[in-house]
Amino acid sequence: MGAVANPDKMICSHCKVEMNHHCDKMVYNVDAHDAGKTDPSMGGIIEEFHTCPKCGGGASRHA
Amino acid sequence: METSRALFIPVILGTARMGRMSLHAARLVTEELSKCAGVETDLIDIANLPLPTNDAGEAIKQADFSAKMSKADALVVVSPEYNHGYSGLLKHVLDSCLKEYIHKAVGIVGVSAGPFGGTRVIQNLLPVMRELGLVTIFWDANFSSVQKVFTEEGGLLGDSYIRRIDKFLKELIWMAKTLRHGREQISLT
Repeated sequence: MGAVANPDKMICSHCKVEMNHHCDKMVYNVDAHDAGKTDPSMGGIIEEFHTCPKCGGGASRHA
Repeated sequence: METSRALFIPVILGTARMGRMSLHAARLVTEELSKCAGVETDLIDIANLPLPTNDAGEAIKQADFSAKMSKADALVVVSPEYNHGYSGLLKHVLDSCLKEYIHKAVGIVGVSAGPFGGTRVIQNLLPVMRELGLVTIFWDANFSSVQKVFTEEGGLLGDSYIRRIDKFLKELIWMAKTLRHGREQISLT
């Protein structure tokens, strides 16, 4: 049986391998379109940062 | 782990002022970086970046600068000290990216016409670097009385800076390698 992709992992768009989640960062985005995404318990938006172990490329997403 | 990729460490020249002596410092650091094994570099002159000034932040991200920051494993920021601070244009440029910087090393080169070698601008840049997600090294490079360090054409007038820059770059490269390993291999959870 083949390996099942971990849904918590981002996949590198270039190498198609699982990326390493190495950072969460609070961002205080004041853009109107992000206003509703603020985590009230944190006071901002948690942004996850991921890096590909093969090519070193980075990606991010809201937590 | 992929180890064959060269480190990419661009040098950002943080002023657009005419007659800037920081250009000579930036060129010198870029030249010394280019001699380091396994390192690729590039001199990014913020005067040449076509960023608008009627908006700011990631909304004005410039594709080529963003791509270079994404590729980078570390940065060198060369900043003159203007009234104890950094240029507004440097902050404008740095603020145009964020995810591109996370967990990457940065070394700061201070340049001044006076005797303190940009120490005050370096102190002012440290909290900015931290908030951008960059990891500062504890070596700085300080060019004091810069008009006496270079000829008008940019020739270096003494060798003492070479040894100091070598120490600065060794620390930066060590941090760049360490953080690349961390970004690619060490999970937050």
